[in-house]
Amino acid sequence: MGFDALANAFVELALGGNLLYLAAGILLGLSFGVIPGLGGTTALALIIPATYSMEPIEAMYLAGGAMGATSFGGSVTAILLNTPGTAPNAATTFDGYPLARQGKAGLAIGASAAASALGGLIGLFTLLLFIPIARDVVLSFGPAEFFLLTVLGLAAIAVSVRGKLLRGLIAGGIGLMFAFVGFDSISGDIRYAGGINYLWDGIPLVPTLTGMFAISQMMELALKGGSVAQSGKDEKFAITGVGEGVLAVFRHWPVLLRGSAIGTIIGAIPGLGGTVAAFLSYSSVVQTDRDPDSYGKGNIKGVIAPESANNAKDGGSLIPTVAFGIPGSAETALFLAILVLHGMDPGPGILMHREREVYGLIVALTASAVGASIIGLLLARWLVLITKIDVGVVVPVVIAVSLIGVYVLEGRMADVALTVVMGVIGYLMIRFDYPRLTLVIALVMGDIAERSLHQVNLISDGNILGFMLDRPVSVILIAAIVITFLLPTLRRVMAGRRPG
Amino acid sequence: MKTMLKKGAAALVALVASATIAAAEYPADDKITFVIPYGPGGGFDTIVRSFAPTLESILGTTVVPENIPGASGTRGGQTVHRAEPDGYTIGIFNIPGLTVSEATSRDIGFSLGEITWIANLAEEKYGIAVKSDSPINSVADLCALGRSIKLSDTGGDSTSSITAVISFDILDCPITNVTGYSGSNDTMIAVMRGEVDATLKPIGSLAKYVASGDLRMIFTLSEETLLEGVETAAAIGHPELAKFTINRVVGGPPGMDPAVVAKLSDAFRAATEAAAVTDWAQTSGTTLNFKDAAATRAMMDDLSTFYLQYKDLLSQ
Repeated sequence: MGFDALANAFVELALGGNLLYLAAGILLGLSFGVIPGLGGTTALALIIPATYSMEPIEAMYLAGGAMGATSFGGSVTAILLNTPGTAPNAATTFDGYPLARQGKAGLAIGASAAASALGGLIGLFTLLLFIPIARDVVLSFGPAEFFLLTVLGLAAIAVSVRGKLLRGLIAGGIGLMFAFVGFDSISGDIRYAGGINYLWDGIPLVPTLTGMFAISQMMELALKGGSVAQSGKDEKFAITGVGEGVLAVFRHWPVLLRGSAIGTIIGAIPGLGGTVAAFLSYSSVVQTDRDPDSYGKGNIKGVIAPESANNAKDGGSLIPTVAFGIPGSAETALFLAILVLHGMDPGPGILMHREREVYGLIVALTASAVGASIIGLLLARWLVLITKIDVGVVVPVVIAVSLIGVYVLEGRMADVALTVVMGVIGYLMIRFDYPRLTLVIALVMGDIAERSLHQVNLISDGNILGFMLDRPVSVILIAAIVITFLLPTLRRVMAGRRPG
Repeated sequence: MKTMLKKGAAALVALVASATIAAAEYPADDKITFVIPYGPGGGFDTIVRSFAPTLESILGTTVVPENIPGASGTRGGQTVHRAEPDGYTIGIFNIPGLTVSEATSRDIGFSLGEITWIANLAEEKYGIAVKSDSPINSVADLCALGRSIKLSDTGGDSTSSITAVISFDILDCPITNVTGYSGSNDTMIAVMRGEVDATLKPIGSLAKYVASGDLRMIFTLSEETLLEGVETAAAIGHPELAKFTINRVVGGPPGMDPAVVAKLSDAFRAATEAAAVTDWAQTSGTTLNFKDAAATRAMMDDLSTFYLQYKDLLSQ
């Protein structure tokens, strides 16, 4: 039944104006991805009112096109300007930007395009395999597993900041403190809001991330002067690098597969999302590589890992959606909102009653993952020129566009003010060498960690560990946490034994 | 003195006349902004967007739904409260969420008592559901578990959570409210995973999972039987539990012209009877329940008094 529906959806894509909707979605997604502050959620939020007059299936092609294209768009800015276009691209800056500074932006963009497209396809293929057992998958992840996943994420943070553990812990601690600001969904109390109404809903992620990465990076660039690419005088090298980047993804296929697997799993967990997926994928490749010191200095695997995870998460985030009609990510929440707007009521019967729309979205996402990368590769030649523009031009444009982007999301000036504040904090963190992504990841996970631990405590009548050890998925996660902590030590011991 | 009185009377007549003219002209070509205190896609958003086209044709002017989410529906409420009382800004309110916030002395940035209530559009009753293969068949079974009943909910301040706390207090059965689930769907999946015993949710939300065979409804907080074979509040001798409902209430800024309010209220009445709206209500499982301005105000006062008596329980 599923494959018929899938085949029908592919046929339908070719009919009428559906391809146009898809193409419009991809272009919208790419542009929203490229612009810091704007992302997939903004694109979909803006699309929603426009879909009111459309057929639901047309809305799916438009939304799917945009959803699948933003993350690749965002990687372009991450690589070229060290400013992630969307939240999940933050990890791509670690190695993508050093590559751009070495004049190898084309190599990084090529790798990002191929990793995004292939990661997206793997994620969606996994989704199709999982559809028959999607319900069991969702039911085996409860509060205990959510909590352990956040611990795994925090463990990855702790070990990923090699050499500056204390600074990493401080940044993570500040992120956790930020996470606890606002409405406490457990007690119903407002915490640390200082009487400011704006803080009731907590410290929002998009302004924080835009400030931390876009604004602070522009401040850094402005003070340094010059242009992004330091050794990019030979333009031909940058252009030919694109194909090499694509090949690099195939050469490092284990990185691609692992990134896609991490992306799919994290995508399926509501609330975690692409930022955590990309970061975990990045830190796992650093941890397991023979030469961890080459990362952060322009290792192409450091681009492939986060970008494959980032796109694979879209397929994963549809697992809870097809199982129960619940969102796995902010984007799928908006996808469901589009269905609601068209008089449908998503629920456990979604795949039965809304098969056409669900498969339409899957096909749109598949086409978009590939389409966006092809468009990206075609444009790469011109995109890399951005790195050669004088910062006197780049800085004001990026700052203005980022702040407008943040404002557009909710229409709140307070978001713009917060972005600027976070920009200053981010700049200070660059100056004093504190990891910014650690703070952001802790901000994303703090709330989920606290909430799920509290739930496990109530559900298990206080016997938290006993409850977890009874659940197979929890046991696997506990093992993964232990391994994450032990791996660096094990590697040191192994290295010590190696002769020479 | 006489001239002063005359002048005063003339001024009054002029004022009333101008107000009447303004009301007669209302709505002029201006668009009406309909504030939704939550993001796109939720229950509040859906009902406003379903009413908007019908309202437009009845009132003969553009009705623009505007999402102003934030702070549990208070930000949208504040926007309406601050607007000019000219009938061109109205909003749907998070009731009884805001009523409970006021009852427990939480600052919501404005006073619900000052809002000009225009109409009540819909009302929904609550039900209690368990996992479909659960041995629990009634509220009595839940209370007989011999331990605190575990219920799943979104947040401690959500209306369903408040309803659960008060209802089980009335029934004298201890509960553990496991809050923190990210949406009402998640609370129902928590029941399916077996980590909680039951969940108390609007019947419309539970219905989807009951229809799919994942959950089983064991109780409705209503006086009449709503579902064949499912026990009601009246049947167990607690008809007062039927007082807990979710309302879709429309209001405007303080001090609106009564003539404009009447016009809007009539438009909402006509809309709740229009085929487009009744069709939507049927497919979405919404129970339309129109109340005019006066009845809505009385209902709001009633709700305030009702929740105020549980102030201490809710403040815990």
